[in-house]
Amino acid sequence: MTEMHKSILDIYRPKLVPLEHNLTAAVFPFMKIFPAEFCVRRAREEGWISSQSLVVETSSGNMALGLAIVCNLYGYKLSLVSDYACDGFLRRRIEDLGARLDIVSAPSAAGGYQKARLDRLAEIREQVPDHWWVSQYDNPCNAGAYAFFAAQLIEGLGRVDCLVGTVGSGGSVCGTSVFLKELFPEMKVVGVDTFGSVLFGQRDQLRQLRGLGNSILPKNLDHTLFDEVHWVTAAEAYKGTRLLHRGTSLFCGGTSGAAWMVARHWACRHPRQRVVAIFPDDGYRYADTIYNDDYLLKENLHLPELPQHPREVNHPLEAHSSWSRLQWERRHYSDVVNTLSAVV
Amino acid sequence: MAAQIKNLISSKPRQNGTCLRVGVGTSMAQHGELFQGQIEDDNDQARRCLISLPCAAMYSQVVFDPDRSGYLRVSPGYKEKAKKAVEVTLAYLNAEGIGGLITIESTIPEAKGCGSSTADCVAAAIASADAVGHRLREEELGKLVVTAEVASDNFMFHNAVLFAHREGIVLEDYARRLPTIQVLGFDTAIDNHVKTLEYPPAEYSWRQRQSFHALIGAVRRAIRTNDLELLGRVATASACINQEFLPKPMFHEIQQIVHHAGALGMAVAHSGTVLSVLLDPDDSFLDVKVEELRNNLGTLGISTVLLFHT
Repeated sequence: MTEMHKSILDIYRPKLVPLEHNLTAAVFPFMKIFPAEFCVRRAREEGWISSQSLVVETSSGNMALGLAIVCNLYGYKLSLVSDYACDGFLRRRIEDLGARLDIVSAPSAAGGYQKARLDRLAEIREQVPDHWWVSQYDNPCNAGAYAFFAAQLIEGLGRVDCLVGTVGSGGSVCGTSVFLKELFPEMKVVGVDTFGSVLFGQRDQLRQLRGLGNSILPKNLDHTLFDEVHWVTAAEAYKGTRLLHRGTSLFCGGTSGAAWMVARHWACRHPRQRVVAIFPDDGYRYADTIYNDDYLLKENLHLPELPQHPREVNHPLEAHSSWSRLQWERRHYSDVVNTLSAVV
Repeated sequence: MAAQIKNLISSKPRQNGTCLRVGVGTSMAQHGELFQGQIEDDNDQARRCLISLPCAAMYSQVVFDPDRSGYLRVSPGYKEKAKKAVEVTLAYLNAEGIGGLITIESTIPEAKGCGSSTADCVAAAIASADAVGHRLREEELGKLVVTAEVASDNFMFHNAVLFAHREGIVLEDYARRLPTIQVLGFDTAIDNHVKTLEYPPAEYSWRQRQSFHALIGAVRRAIRTNDLELLGRVATASACINQEFLPKPMFHEIQQIVHHAGALGMAVAHSGTVLSVLLDPDDSFLDVKVEELRNNLGTLGISTVLLFHT
């Protein structure tokens, strides 16, 4: 890594912002560059890629841009497969950085867009033998990348009592938690998911809120790290994002709003515990959507107020419609999902 | 060898027509390390490094009686590393043709992780420099000692430092002393001696090397804010990672006893057999905790303990 590479990565390091006496936000301009960088760096160190290799990945969001930035910096060819969720902002930046971007136009008959993307990825891998698939959901380097962040939190704050973050690949929350728990094994971990995501036992559905949730279970998600799981709607996350902006001027993406509303609630109920919330990206990509009242009204995503409290549920399938909370209690996925639900 | 040292240290004093005198040097010991691991430096080079847990309750004292014979003798005769330390120090100081008798008196047990050979080398380097009228700076001392013994500990430094013990380089200087820690130390294996250079260096996984970053973040904070509790947690976490490479007998039993007593944590010798239970010297229940530790460790057959503070 050259001085220039280091300095450029430094731009993306989070600022620790105290929002309440016991709540600190880790505000990332663009978090995904860190797992992208670490995955590529490890692949180079291990000899999994040469300078001629093609790096491939499927992503509809920030991981695609993270890889595009890193492969541009380190000089690797990159081929990405994405879908409709990859907005114009992302597309233009990714292509400008020299990556090839394939957008699948139709969902696969069984398995939706996720399957269609994987099918297209398989074709590319077939065509280019000298390739390396990043595989962010299952690559342990995705989670392992967050040691620097854990170090920054500990150096800046000392003991952390509770970490709150949105979960998509499992990388940031699980990775950061694992490193923090080596020093603070009693630390609480609160995961934020959205309805229609399978991560914590809901049934797969088309989801409005992006940047968290998943249609498949990634290996990087270790359920036994989690004490609590919350599900929020897109409207709630967006309202949280806007309230955060108005209250603090922090201009963040929708996942930050989701993390903030849950973390604020948790911090308020545990005034003597030090809470950290992860804010994964800034708001520029969402200026025309989350920050646009006309869009919110048109899409029926406008919410006058946030709920004061989440609904308490005893099973993932009882969670629906509005902010819900389950005491996960560090259980395995099957131990939670296979318990009887009142609604099943 | 001399050329190598000259390359290491740029500003090199000259010694011409030196007056010789009897030189003396002393060094304290250590009782294991608060941290040992592997960290990438600013140039992305992975460096093995450690933070010693200093122990002034044990020491090595060296008297160097110089002459112009050019022939060095050491007593006891097997302390070859200390002799080497005198050789490299005299070469570094350009004191040529000097020989003499190096006499070492040490209270530090050997091959236990107490830094006996580092202490001998530190004291010998100080004594031989003293004999030619020179006082070594800490960083000079660090480099000379590593040259003499390949891998060294870092208790020759006044400040807490993260020390690359195979290169003799300070990776991080925490710019202040370690906070005062009360230690209850003991040997986990009376018969089991470890020779530093005879066991292979730990092959840390990438995942473990990542963990070390988090631990070093904690060290920085703990030393800056005098946070003994955090320092204790770092020591325990480092001990747990390194248990894979140089296992201590009864590790988990000891860990439970330490936890139950409400101690800050435990530090192990990463190339030795001693273990240090870390306590807050200002803890109003200190005596009770020490008593409980003694009793419970006694049930594991550990009856001899050393109490000291850093």
